[in-house]
Amino acid sequence: MFRRKLTALDYHNPSGFDCKDETEFRNFIVWLEDQKIRHYKIEDRGNLRNIHSSDWPKFFEKYVQDVSCPFSAQERPETVDWLLGLAVRFEYGDNVDKYKDCKPEAASNDTEKPSDPLINLDSNNPDFKAGVMALANLLQIQRHDDYLVMLKAIRILIQERLTPEAIAKASQSKEGLPVSLDKHILGFDTGDATLNEAAQILRLLHIEELRELQTRINEAIVAVQAIIADPRTDYRLGKVGR
Amino acid sequence: MVSDSKGIFYVNDPLEKLMFEELRNACRGGGFGGFLPAMKQIGNVAALPGIVHKSIGLPDVHSGYGFAIGNMAAFDMSDPTSVVSPGGVGFDINCGVRLLRTNLDEGDVQPVKEQLAQALFDHIPVGGGFQGGHTHERQGPGRSTGDGGGLVPEGRLRLGRGQGALRGVRQDAAGRPQQGLFEGQEERPAAVPVALHGLGRGRLTLVLYLTQLGTLGAGNHYAEIQVVDEIYNDYAAKKMGIDHKGQVCVMIHSGSRGLGHQVATDALVAMEKAMKRDKITVNDRQLACARVTSEEGQDYLKGMAAAGNYAWVNRASMTFLTRQAFAKVFTTTPDDLDMHVIYDVSHNIAKVEEHMVDGKQKTLLVHRKGSTRAFPPHHPLIAVDYQLTGQPVLIGGTMGTCSYVLTGTEQGMTETFGTTCHGAGRALSRAKSRRNLDFQDVLDRLADQGIAIRVASPKLVMEEAPESYKNVTDVVNTCHDAGISKKAIKLRPIAVIKG
Repeated sequence: MFRRKLTALDYHNPSGFDCKDETEFRNFIVWLEDQKIRHYKIEDRGNLRNIHSSDWPKFFEKYVQDVSCPFSAQERPETVDWLLGLAVRFEYGDNVDKYKDCKPEAASNDTEKPSDPLINLDSNNPDFKAGVMALANLLQIQRHDDYLVMLKAIRILIQERLTPEAIAKASQSKEGLPVSLDKHILGFDTGDATLNEAAQILRLLHIEELRELQTRINEAIVAVQAIIADPRTDYRLGKVGR
Repeated sequence: MVSDSKGIFYVNDPLEKLMFEELRNACRGGGFGGFLPAMKQIGNVAALPGIVHKSIGLPDVHSGYGFAIGNMAAFDMSDPTSVVSPGGVGFDINCGVRLLRTNLDEGDVQPVKEQLAQALFDHIPVGGGFQGGHTHERQGPGRSTGDGGGLVPEGRLRLGRGQGALRGVRQDAAGRPQQGLFEGQEERPAAVPVALHGLGRGRLTLVLYLTQLGTLGAGNHYAEIQVVDEIYNDYAAKKMGIDHKGQVCVMIHSGSRGLGHQVATDALVAMEKAMKRDKITVNDRQLACARVTSEEGQDYLKGMAAAGNYAWVNRASMTFLTRQAFAKVFTTTPDDLDMHVIYDVSHNIAKVEEHMVDGKQKTLLVHRKGSTRAFPPHHPLIAVDYQLTGQPVLIGGTMGTCSYVLTGTEQGMTETFGTTCHGAGRALSRAKSRRNLDFQDVLDRLADQGIAIRVASPKLVMEEAPESYKNVTDVVNTCHDAGISKKAIKLRPIAVIKG
């Protein structure tokens, strides 16, 4: 549980250390004081070094107080952690030049994603409204009462149509069969030709989303099958025909 | 039990004549197979408790056990008296058809037609009972079990056969997700052990029926190599990967083999008792049923789901074998032959579906026996690529006649709860066919038509001869003209393998 700090301090057994093992613990404290913390003068460390003495806990308690540890000796894991922290601080203090240029390792996965910039926008700000309106006019996007909704529409339009990737994608010839809209069966009638057409377009957009979902499902299945199934038929075992 | 529901059926003139002829024969005491004539059966179903809308006969309707084959009947799930009836599903639960496409043209296949038919015959085990499984030839003399006699399985040897089929399915499915091309994704795989447990059987039964997995079976089941003969709807055809006349497809028609039969038989016995207990009266003893909510009803639905899954795996495993056979003959890979599943439909199943009844959305248990689900465009339960075309409906013809692919329509959704015909429909009883026809004549006629044929039991061929069936074109045109489904593609066979 103290692996990182122990490793930093070059402890001989960083991952196996168990502070509940009395002998190991006492040896560890002696090692820590001798090598790292050096709070007492060498000649004053005798009581602490005498790890077989039945009075050792008393001297350890005093040591904890002497180094001004906020925890009592009974709270052993906390004390150990605090002492290790102290030792690391001394270690750093002794070798500032060596450590000061160390860069933290680039955390690969668990960096926080930049939060959605839209969250912090004040949608009632007149500047914001004017900006959104201007963009919407430029991109010929329908007006909507909620400016955030309009901004989202603008973002989708730009992402789908105006980013370099989208433009590159659009210039590739797309597979598929062009079919005129009125040939498709809508499945219901709104009683209004324009509404019907809009509904048909919504249907098609929905199908496109479904297709995308199905593709991802297929990919997931293939990925799982790559792990769970390696189906190979041993044809020598089979006998074909009668 | 008073029901104000009606029975109706769809026919054109020639089909109408057949219906009335059957009725007339029955009134004279002819009848066949111990079944009432289809017209009476449709009426009897209309009197079952909890039925909504109508009891509907599709154009290929003919008499069967209890329910006519080609009958759709839906029951209101919110009505506590509603019933589920095994007769409304049939004994071969989830008997159905699957269509594979290839990128081959008739010209590529004609020269190797015989080899291809032989390769299919070699790869796909055929025949009735427990014969013809994957390791049949490894069983020594005396161990072959004929028609299910000596049912104790030979342990590992036979289990290995089933597992071989399963491995094939896995290999077939890997890397090629099926994109929701089956109708029955709501069926739960876990239903198998549950159902068998419910039936008071255990591992033994499971092992037993595993041996039949990946086998075609006998009767009207077949695998056919077909070519596109006509395209009625270009757009729908293209969506299915069919772009020209002469393109080669493979149709597989099979079901749940012995397992479905077992589930149905056991349920019928249990339900007779339940009917007495719940005081359900029906017009025909064969219409044994149980309330959907009763233990017997739930047990049957679970068993049916299990048998349904079994049938899908069965067809999937034969898909694998078909792909292997084609790859072998054309010395390439199945993927290079673009051998993908166009669709897979069930002809015998009951499903819980949402439908509009008198303007209100209701949850119904829709029995489709010898009829096919045909959902319209935009229905949420059909695969995304068929959202604009409507669900593909695969109509298998009979030996030597053509097959069709239809699509579901909005009109069918309201008129028949999204149901259409399933095939040609029997016109002569099996016994009558055997009496009236000679198998050699039947085979010769197929050969004259240029159809390669491989049959495991030729003496039963006359039962399946085109003469024994209604004219599939009549049937399909009636559905098309009635608007309950639309024609998309016509296929004609060039090679047939049968049990």
